[in-house]
Amino acid sequence: MAFFKLGAVSFGGGYAIIPLIEQEVVENKKWLEREKIIDIFSVAQALPGAIAINASTFVGYSVAGIPGAIAALLGNVTPSVVTVMTLSVLFTRISGYPAVKSIFKAIYPVVVGLILYAAYKIGKTAINNLASVVIAAAAFAASLFLHLDPIPLIIAGIVCGLVVHWIKTLNCIKEKKKGREL
Amino acid sequence: MGVLFKLFIMFVKLCAFAFGGGYVMIPSMVKVSEANHWASAAELTDVIAIAGMAPGPVAVNAAVGFGYRVAGFPGAVVSFLGIAIPCAVIVIVVATFFFKAYNHPLVQAALNGLRPVITGIILYAAVSLAIKNGMILAAGNTLITGGWNITAAGVNLLEVKSLILIAATFLILIKTKIQPIFLILAAGVLGVFLY
Repeated sequence: MAFFKLGAVSFGGGYAIIPLIEQEVVENKKWLEREKIIDIFSVAQALPGAIAINASTFVGYSVAGIPGAIAALLGNVTPSVVTVMTLSVLFTRISGYPAVKSIFKAIYPVVVGLILYAAYKIGKTAINNLASVVIAAAAFAASLFLHLDPIPLIIAGIVCGLVVHWIKTLNCIKEKKKGREL
Repeated sequence: MGVLFKLFIMFVKLCAFAFGGGYVMIPSMVKVSEANHWASAAELTDVIAIAGMAPGPVAVNAAVGFGYRVAGFPGAVVSFLGIAIPCAVIVIVVATFFFKAYNHPLVQAALNGLRPVITGIILYAAVSLAIKNGMILAAGNTLITGGWNITAAGVNLLEVKSLILIAATFLILIKTKIQPIFLILAAGVLGVFLY
């Protein structure tokens, strides 16, 4: 039930719902401790899939096992699915009118702005050194010019991360050796 | 049957790779959709606008809206199942194990490589939607009528009103904690006067 309410109020995707889940589950219902929930959120963001779904399913599972997970999932998505269906049906009916076309001409740029902002938010935590700038630029260029699919790019990104880590470790070992020689 | 099955498989696949939320799915959705002649990129922009307008996770909303656009109500149902079930299973099965592995240096290294890629792909999602809707580098048939189009040497460079709206949205989102739905509604009202 609690997740039904959360689903209904979390406009605009996963990140918006996180403080709300925290308040409801930790302060109002006292189901979990705050540290536990922060861990859950960091894992939910690292796993693939919608962040809000991951977070709420995982919280539901931690609180009440598999039934809890199912309840949380359904509660989280039902309101949004119903709204999207209603809007989609409505939109299909009215999309022919010229006024609707001009309205959407102004909404499209806002959508682009929203997506740019999503990139900015992830970029703030993702881009912190030269290697990450190069990887991000390469992923962007590969999508735009080579029309590569995101899935191989994501796999390549994971490999790059591991290679960078490996190089760093090698450098560390070399420097330690140097230290000993001196 | 063919379309429904394709939709389901597509979202199952996307779900497993949708790191960092729903927007990273957009380029794949556009690609599959154009390859199957289901819907154009411009039509998909409607879907994404509606997904951002409705409450709840963008990934799920976009999947449901996309499924509905392509194959009506059954399409919406299979897309929803495709995006929701694997995610929930991954979370329950993997999460307990992942909790322990999360701080392992190799897992962190993989995530450090993955996050910049996600940033690049989402950036591309924004740029490609801007191109396909004629906001920048418009082709002849996507040129925005009623806009202020700037053209140089036969190339449609950009449409001024759209770029102002993009910049305004981005800045407002950085500076305030406003919900996206209000920006979308405000833009809708502005659109009546702008175009």
